[in-house]
Amino acid sequence: MSSEQDHLKETDTEARFDFKKEESSAFQTEKGLTEETVRVISEDKDEPEWMLNRRLRALKQFQEMPMPTDWPGQPDLSEVDIAEIVPYIRPDVDVRAGVDDWTELPDEIKDTFDKLGIPEAEKNALSGVGAQYESEVVYQNMQERWEEKGVIFMNMDEAVQKHPDIVREHFMTKCVPPSDNKFAALHGAVWSGGSFVYVPEDVTVEMPVQAYFRMNSEGMGQFEHTLIVAEDGAEVHYIEGCSAPKYSAFNLHSGGVEVFVGEDAHVQYSTVQNWSKNTYNLNTKRALVEAGGRMEWISGSMGSKATMLYPSTVLKGPGASDNHITIAFAGEGQNIDTGAKVYHNAPNTKSTIESKSISKDGGRTNYRGLVHIADGAEDSSTSVECDALMFDNESTSDTMPYMEINESKVDVAHEATVGKIGDEDVFYLQSRGLDDDDAKQMIVSGFIEPITEELPIEYAVELNRLVELEMEGSLG
Amino acid sequence: MSGAQLPANLSAQTVREIAEKRDEPEWLLDARLDALDALESLDLPDVIQTPGRRWTNLEALDFESLVDPLDQADETERTSDEGVEVLTFTEALEEHPELVESAFGSTIDPQENYLTALSAALFTTGTVVYVPEGVDAEDVTIRAEMNSRSLFSHTLVLTEQSSSVTILESIESGAESDADARYFSNLVEIDAGENSYVQYGSLQDLDEDTYSYSLKRADVGTYATVNWIEGNLGSRLTRSDVESELNGDSAETKIVGAFFGHGGQHFDVNARVWHNAENTTADLVTRGVLDDEARSVYEGVQDVGRDAWNTSSYQRENTLMLSDESEADASPKLIIHNHDTEASHSATVGQVDQEDLFYMISRSIPDHQARNMLVEGFFVPVLEEIEVEEFRDDLEELIAARLR
Repeated sequence: MSSEQDHLKETDTEARFDFKKEESSAFQTEKGLTEETVRVISEDKDEPEWMLNRRLRALKQFQEMPMPTDWPGQPDLSEVDIAEIVPYIRPDVDVRAGVDDWTELPDEIKDTFDKLGIPEAEKNALSGVGAQYESEVVYQNMQERWEEKGVIFMNMDEAVQKHPDIVREHFMTKCVPPSDNKFAALHGAVWSGGSFVYVPEDVTVEMPVQAYFRMNSEGMGQFEHTLIVAEDGAEVHYIEGCSAPKYSAFNLHSGGVEVFVGEDAHVQYSTVQNWSKNTYNLNTKRALVEAGGRMEWISGSMGSKATMLYPSTVLKGPGASDNHITIAFAGEGQNIDTGAKVYHNAPNTKSTIESKSISKDGGRTNYRGLVHIADGAEDSSTSVECDALMFDNESTSDTMPYMEINESKVDVAHEATVGKIGDEDVFYLQSRGLDDDDAKQMIVSGFIEPITEELPIEYAVELNRLVELEMEGSLG
Repeated sequence: MSGAQLPANLSAQTVREIAEKRDEPEWLLDARLDALDALESLDLPDVIQTPGRRWTNLEALDFESLVDPLDQADETERTSDEGVEVLTFTEALEEHPELVESAFGSTIDPQENYLTALSAALFTTGTVVYVPEGVDAEDVTIRAEMNSRSLFSHTLVLTEQSSSVTILESIESGAESDADARYFSNLVEIDAGENSYVQYGSLQDLDEDTYSYSLKRADVGTYATVNWIEGNLGSRLTRSDVESELNGDSAETKIVGAFFGHGGQHFDVNARVWHNAENTTADLVTRGVLDDEARSVYEGVQDVGRDAWNTSSYQRENTLMLSDESEADASPKLIIHNHDTEASHSATVGQVDQEDLFYMISRSIPDHQARNMLVEGFFVPVLEEIEVEEFRDDLEELIAARLR
C-alpha cells in the first residue's frame, strides 16, 4: 500500500510540473457566446480541425434551438442567460495552488469538507485522482497496473490529442448528439475538460476510477465532457463528484456524459453532486448498451438551484440491461427535476429504476421518467419505483412517469408513493431516547439506505453527511 | 390558436340561429357568441408529448368536414325517479332559469380550450338533472342516439344538500348518415352540494367512424361524494377527460374507467383529481384492453394542493395487450404540495399471463375461449367497483360482444 501512495505522490508532482510548463498564465473568454469564443477555446486547446468544426456546428444548433420552457412543472430557467456566462476559464497557477492546499480554500468549502467528515487523505485522493477546476482538468492520475492492461484514463482534452480515432468516432456522434437538446448543443460548442475512460476487451478494472469537478468562479459555466468506452466484456466503475461554492450570481453546469457499453460489458457510473445553491445543473447523460451489456447509474442530486437531469439508457442489443438508482434532496429554494429514461430497443432487455426523493422547507423535487418499449422488444421487462418523502406543506413533490409500450410480450410496472415522515416512527425513536431532529435524521438515513448501500463507502459517507447538512441547515 | 379549419356556415349568424330556434335567453346567446369568438385564440386540449412523439393527434380532427352546426339530430330517452327533475336543456331553461344560468360554465369554463368553446357555441342537446334537498334518486337514465354528422351536448347535474342520485348515460350511433366521419362532443358539469352523493356512469359505444370528445368535471362540496364510471368502447378516436375537484372538506371521489380497443381505435383516456380541501379522498382505477392495432393513452393526475391536509389519494392503471401491433402509453402523475398526504399510484402493462392460459388449456378449455375468459376476468376489478347492476351488465355485455 505504501508503495502505491509513493507512486501517487510522484506522479502528482510530475503532473503539476508539466502543467506549469504548459500554461503559465490564466486565460478566460469573454462573457457570452459567439463563434469567436468557440474558436478561441478551440485554439487555446490546440484542437484538430474536426473538433473545431464539431463545436461550430453545435453552436449553430444551440442558436437555433428554443429554451425548454413548456414542460409541465419544470424549473424556471428564465435566469439562465448565456450572455451572462463565462463559458471558459483556464485556471492559473495561483488558483491551482489554492486547490492543492486545502487551507487556502474559502471557509465555506472548507467547512463543508470538514463537516463531510472526509479525512484529509481522502480529500487529497478526491482532488488528486482526476480533478477539474473551472474548465480544465488540473490533475490526472492513473495507477500503472491498469495502464499496463491498456486501460486509458485521461482528461478529455488530452484524449482528443492522443486518441483522436476513438474520440472522433464516439464524441457526440451516436450517443449524445448536440441536436439532442439546447444544453447538449451548448455543451458541444464550449465543452472543456472532463474524463476519458477506455477499457479494452475483456479487461476488468477492479477499483473505481474517480473524477472530481469543482466550479469556483462566479458567473461561470462548466461544461466537462465524460466519455466512457467499455469494449466487449470489459468492466469498469466510474465515480464522479461535483461541487461549487456559493456566489450571488448564477452558475451554469452543463456537462455531457456518454457511455458505450460493449457486448457483455458492464459499466457502473456513480455520482454524488453537490452544486452550490445558485447553480443551474442542466446535464445530458446517456449510455448505449450492446447485447448482454449492463449499465448502472447511481446518483445523488443534492445541491443546485435547479437541476434538470434524466440519465438515459438505450438498450440496443438482446439481453442488455439497465439499473437506475437515484436520490434527490431539495431544500429551500431548490428545484430538483430528475429521473431516468430507458429505451428498450431489443428483445429480452431489462431495466429497473429506483428513485427516492426528499423535499423540505419549500424544496421541490420531481421525478420525470420515460420508459419506451419498441415494437419487437419482446420479453422485455421494466419496473419503476418512486418514493417521495415530504417534510412540510411548503414543499412539493411530483411524479411524472411516461410509459410508451409498443410491444405486447412485456412486463411493465410502475409504482410511486408519497408520504410524510411517519409521526409514529418519530415517536417510537423519541421514546427510545432520541431527540426529534436525530429521530428524523435516522428515518431519512433509513429511507435512502437502498441508495447509499450501492455506493463505495466514501461516497456513501459523503451522501449521508450531505443529507445531514441539509437537515441541520433547515433546522438551525 | 389551433388553426383548425371550420365549416363555412359556422358564424355568429349560425349561433344566433341555434339559440333562436331554442328560444334561449340572452345570457346564453352571449355565452355562445363569446365562446365562438374565443375559438380564434384557443388551443386544442393539451396532449402528452415525449421526445419526438405526440401521443394523440387531435390536429387530425378536420372540423370543416366533420361539423355541420345546423344539422344536429339526436334521439334521447330520459327516465327519471321520484322527486328528481330530469329535463332537456331547453325545458330546464324555462323551468329553472336562474339555476341553469348560475350552473352553466361554473365547473367547466366554456373557453377552457378550443373543443370546449366549440361545444358551448354549438350545443343543441343536453340534460339538466336537478336533485332537491334530501331527495334520493336511483334510476336516472339518459340514453342518447346520435343521428347526424355532428352532435354537441351539454349536461348539468345539480344536487342540493343531503341528496343523492345515480345517473346512467349512454351514447351510441343511430341512423346511418352519409358522412364517412362524425364528431360527437359532450360536456358534463356536476355541482355536488354539501353532503350529497352522485354516481355518474357513462358508456360510449359510438360507431368506429366517429371522433369523440368528452370533458366531465365535478365540483365536489363538503362531505359530498362524486363517483364516476367511464366506459369507452366505440369511436375511431376518443378523447375522454373525467375530473373531480374536491373543493369541500372531506369530499370524496372515485373515478373508475374501462376501455377496450380493437381495429385502429385510439383512446386518449384521462382521469384527474384536485385535492383542494382537508380530509379529502380519491381513488382512481382504470383498466383497458387493446387488440389489433388499437392504441391507448392514459394520463392520471392526483394534484394535492397546499391546504389539502390529511389527503388520501390512490391511483392504479392496468393495460392488457392482446396484440403486438397495439400500443399502450401511460403517464400517471402525482403532484404533491402538502406533506400530510398518503398517496400512491401504479401502472402496469402486460399481456395475458401465459401460465394462466396454459393452465386453462390444460383443463381442455379451447385457446380462444380461455383467452376471452382471462380478458373478462381482467375487467372484474373495475366491474366490481360499479355499484349499479344495470350498468355493469351493459358493460359486461359489450366486452363479451367484442371478444366473440
